[in-house]
Amino acid sequence: MSTAAIQSKSFYEEKKGLKSWIFSTDHKRIGLLYFYSLGSFFLVGVILGLLMRLELISPGETIMKAKTYNQVFTLHGVIMIFLFLIPSVPAVFGNIFLPIMIGTDDVAFPKINLLSWWLYVLGGLFALSTLVVGDGPADTGWTFYAPYSVKTGTNVSLAVFAAFILGFSSILTGLNFIVTIHRLRHPKMGWFKMPLFPWALYATAWIQVLATPIIGITLLMIIAERVFGLGLFDPSLGGDPILYQHLFWIYSHPAVYIMVLPAMGLISEMIPTFAKRPIFGYKAIAYSSMAIAFIGYFVWGHHMFTSGMSGPARVIFSILTFLVAVPSAIKTFNWVATLYKGSILIKTPLLFSMAFIFQFLIGGLTGLVIGALATDVHLHDTYFVVGHFHYVMFGGTGFAMFGAMHYWYGKIWGKMYNEKMAQISFGFIFVGFNFLYFPMLILGLMGMPRRYYDYLPEFTTLNVISTVGSWVMVLGIIMMLTNLIRSKKRGEKAPKDPWGGTTLEWQTSSPPSLHNFDTEPIVPEEGPYFHKV
Amino acid sequence: MANFVMVNSGHNRDDEADKLGMWLFLFTELLLFGGLFLVYTIYRYLNADAFLHASYELNVIMGTVNTIVLLTSSLTVAMSITAIQKGDTKMALTLIWSTIAFAGVFLVIKYFEWTAKFEHGLFPGMEHYNMLEPGEKLFFFLYFFMTGFHGLHVIIGGIILLFVIAAIRKGETNQGKFIFLENGALYWHLVDLIWIFLFPLFYLIH
Amino acid sequence: MFTNASNFVDGVDLSFAIILGASVFFLVAITAIMIWFVIKYNRKKHPKPGIVKENHKLEIIWTVIPTILVLVMFYYGWMGYKPMREFPKDSIHIKAIAQMWSWNFEYENGKVSDTLVVPIDKAVTLDLISRDVLHSLYIPAFRIKEDVIPGIDNKMWFIGQELGDYNILCAEYCGDRHSYMMSKVYVVQETEYSTWLNDKSSNDHPGLQVLKKNACTSCHSLDGSKIIGPSFKGVWGITETVITEGVERQITVDKEYIRSSIYDPNADVTKGYNPGLMITTYKDLITEDEVKDIIEYLKTLK
Ligand code: HEA
Ligand code: HEA
Ligand code: HEC
Ligand code: CUA
Ligand SMILES: [Cu+2]
Repeated sequence: MSTAAIQSKSFYEEKKGLKSWIFSTDHKRIGLLYFYSLGSFFLVGVILGLLMRLELISPGETIMKAKTYNQVFTLHGVIMIFLFLIPSVPAVFGNIFLPIMIGTDDVAFPKINLLSWWLYVLGGLFALSTLVVGDGPADTGWTFYAPYSVKTGTNVSLAVFAAFILGFSSILTGLNFIVTIHRLRHPKMGWFKMPLFPWALYATAWIQVLATPIIGITLLMIIAERVFGLGLFDPSLGGDPILYQHLFWIYSHPAVYIMVLPAMGLISEMIPTFAKRPIFGYKAIAYSSMAIAFIGYFVWGHHMFTSGMSGPARVIFSILTFLVAVPSAIKTFNWVATLYKGSILIKTPLLFSMAFIFQFLIGGLTGLVIGALATDVHLHDTYFVVGHFHYVMFGGTGFAMFGAMHYWYGKIWGKMYNEKMAQISFGFIFVGFNFLYFPMLILGLMGMPRRYYDYLPEFTTLNVISTVGSWVMVLGIIMMLTNLIRSKKRGEKAPKDPWGGTTLEWQTSSPPSLHNFDTEPIVPEEGPYFHKV
Repeated sequence: MANFVMVNSGHNRDDEADKLGMWLFLFTELLLFGGLFLVYTIYRYLNADAFLHASYELNVIMGTVNTIVLLTSSLTVAMSITAIQKGDTKMALTLIWSTIAFAGVFLVIKYFEWTAKFEHGLFPGMEHYNMLEPGEKLFFFLYFFMTGFHGLHVIIGGIILLFVIAAIRKGETNQGKFIFLENGALYWHLVDLIWIFLFPLFYLIH
Repeated sequence: MFTNASNFVDGVDLSFAIILGASVFFLVAITAIMIWFVIKYNRKKHPKPGIVKENHKLEIIWTVIPTILVLVMFYYGWMGYKPMREFPKDSIHIKAIAQMWSWNFEYENGKVSDTLVVPIDKAVTLDLISRDVLHSLYIPAFRIKEDVIPGIDNKMWFIGQELGDYNILCAEYCGDRHSYMMSKVYVVQETEYSTWLNDKSSNDHPGLQVLKKNACTSCHSLDGSKIIGPSFKGVWGITETVITEGVERQITVDKEYIRSSIYDPNADVTKGYNPGLMITTYKDLITEDEVKDIIEYLKTLK
């Protein structure tokens, strides 16, 4: 016991049994709890997505009724946004790796961390319970626009309440991370010695804390309105439906950056490791995270260009929307520049990172198309927008998560995944993804509105291509998951640092011990991404 | 097994962190009410006359008394911190109890105020309410929603203070370590502060 | 793309082309450079990374150039959009009335039609009115769209520049039959337009005209099929179960029941259907005489 050579027990072995998990305050265990619960909800959302695609393979009724379809896309949106993407990267990888990467043994408030997970599960159950209770899931779209959301007979109140609880959970995670980063960084780790993933989490956490309360109170108002049957947002009773839209988007636009900033942080970790070079423009990337977080607050109106806002407001929102694109461009350029003169190891995480850059580019650039006033008038609420957000959310954040699952696979589970299988499944996912979503962009240009159960015959071909793409993608995802699940048993034992990474998580064992480090972590003086060559 | 001590452990006592966390939390609470104030302001602007007319229904005297009650309770809870710093646990406990008592008084007065409105049939869905014009309806809806939501916060604040009392009794919170009391008091000040905004908005602007 | 169907197509398509051009350039360039780096600096060929210094000049360049570019994009977007909000002084005013789930167009001379007919090369202003929830009037070929919001007076305008018929769609989700809320706009010659406009005769039963004008037929079929509400076919005189204040009871569909179903639809809710879908009361929209017409018409639907 006295010599440091003895490997200490990993955090898995420290305690056993279900209780030791669901009441654990260890950040790694909570991260894994999030991972499994998030994954389950994601599967539900994905299956709903596939059902929608199946319905849309031909015009007219294919497998479900119009009302069911409306409920399906609403639940799909609610699950994907509130249960999957908003928590996703921070709650899973942030929880597991933030404390390790800044050289400490836990987050600032471990108990509150556990509470957020419990709230998350509770919110998730509320959302799913709409499936079985009363008139079924809400049929309003994930935006819950009044006055329809006040009039419909479906379970809007329950769905909205679920979103409220999830918001609370998100606030607590954000608050925890801010305090952790301020108070628990390793004494030798100054702000600009901190890796970029924690930086991204820091920027995100501020959005979580500052934007979420607004949606919280807005959702409560919708509930009150439904319960007491009166019109805060219902024009026939004196209310203003546009006010609802403002309140909704004041949160929900910044929320899209909650979804993408941490994913960008993941990319900023993976690229330097596989290029074996310090990241290019470290400070530029760190500052641009903060810039996105800040400017992102003032662009919400671009979701409402056709709602009858005043002319000057539309112009201002459009110009700000364009400005918020610049920091994303800066990041993209820096990532690519990091590859220059590197010594590049092509492994699955890098492939996912490259796919991220490609797809985020498409998503971001289509964002510019709908950020412009003239074109948005034509494209608003068409499949072009659906294509845009799947490209940034799934093609961006989703792919970054898949990449990180491979990058940190050994660190989390102690085994290595099968590289060849992983690359093949990546191929399927990448091809399937683009066949699934690129046709949607064209459909939008041709004028097919979104949330359409049925469509005109001229849109059939592209819809069929898209549906077939979804099957290719499913195949890829099933292969990827099988590989990851099998490797947990059969994979080779993971070394401390399989990729030659330089951040602190690679200094501890795989998987780490309960207290993360058994010896003092060494914070590199040259900055987080210095490779000794 | 760990053969070194982590100075920056998440399990160390860190009053600064607790305070920072609390301030962030208070910030989210302020934003929550901020959303409501925004809605209030916009509708007041759109329905100036109706709001004016409806606000005469409210009882300024009860509102004023309640404001004084809450301000006093903020004072007592602030004094309890000084008391515990001096090591006078008994005094601290008395002061916290009186804060909770004031909270009770506040709620009782609120109860009578609300019952009066109920008797006039002004609660959403009631007869008199349904006959009001849209602007007045909005006013009363917001009145009940915002004061009700604030009342909920008074109750939560009171419960937090009960936990503080328990912690003092157990000795977990004491002269050398009173961050829990400080945070509880901070929360209470927030509750007070919000009322300071609600009061003029509903009762005084004529 | 690039038709000339309305006066806005040019502006919109121009700004689209400019943004698309820049986007394709960046997409191709960045992707190509990325792949090229990955191949060229592959670890097998390039085992030792080179030293690259931070380069502030480069950072500034790739901040400033995109900023300028996005401002250019913004400018064209704005210019393409501006004319949509500059309403002409004299134009034909038509009320576009949206309700779940159909469009009606009311002309200045009182004519109501479920399709929009406009003369070529004439400015047309649509006053957008919604009777229930949000809708959005979208004419893809004209590149225009504006939300139709209850209680708020939105409007839009255009000049149809090519003869033909074009789709009108609803682009804001509005419930079950949102995707069926379609109509057509016909751009016709001036003369054809004025004969059409002044021809108010109709072969329809007066009751059917009332039903069509008020969009009842978007929820109630005339052929027995169930859309959203019960079909009108054969409804006259039958006995059915309704729910009144939570209690089930049997009624016969007679004059009084139909009248109350129109003026106070939520009082008796037909079993198996959702309440709250019909407008709370049609008092301001349908006169007592029109109700009589409806009843007479329903009697004929056996
Ligand atoms: C992860 C989520 C995410 C992200 C990151 C973004 C990013 C952006 N979004 Fe997106 N958006 C959504 C999720 C997201 N969006 C969702 C969910 C909706 C629909 C909601 C609903 O209605 O249901 C939506 C809808 C939406 C609309 C409303 C469309 C409509 O309904 O009419 C608009 C309009 O402006 C918009 C714009 C943008 C812009 C400009 C960006 C920018 O931040 C993108 C910036 C990135 C780049 C530009 C790429 C990098 C570029 C380069 C390296 C090249 C050089 C660049 C230049 C020349 C500038 N988005
Ligand atoms: C991260 C967010 C996210 C993700 C990942 C997805 C994933 C998918 N989305 Fe998503 N979508 C949204 C967010 C997302 N969506 C949102 C916010 C909306 C707006 C809702 C609204 O309008 O209110 C929307 C709307 C939306 C529409 C538009 C509906 C309409 O307007 O009428 C469509 C249409 O096709 C669609 C399709 C799909 C499909 C087919 C998938 C599929 O998931 C595609 C990929 C398939 C897989 C990933 C397969 C997974 C694997 C398995 C099933 C097997 C598991 C096996 C084992 C465990 C062994 N979505
Ligand atoms: C948005 C959909 C919708 C529209 C538009 C609509 N209705 Fe209905 N209607 C319903 C539904 C749903 C019911 C059944 C529930 C109920 O009784 O309220 C119904 C019930 C009725 C009934 C009773 C039928 C029966 O069998 O008991 C009559 C009569 C009726 N509507 C007439 C009309 C008339 C006349 C109009 C137009 C002026 C109209 N409706 C427009 C949805 C609609
Ligand atoms: Cu009307 Cu959609
Ligand atoms: Cu946005």
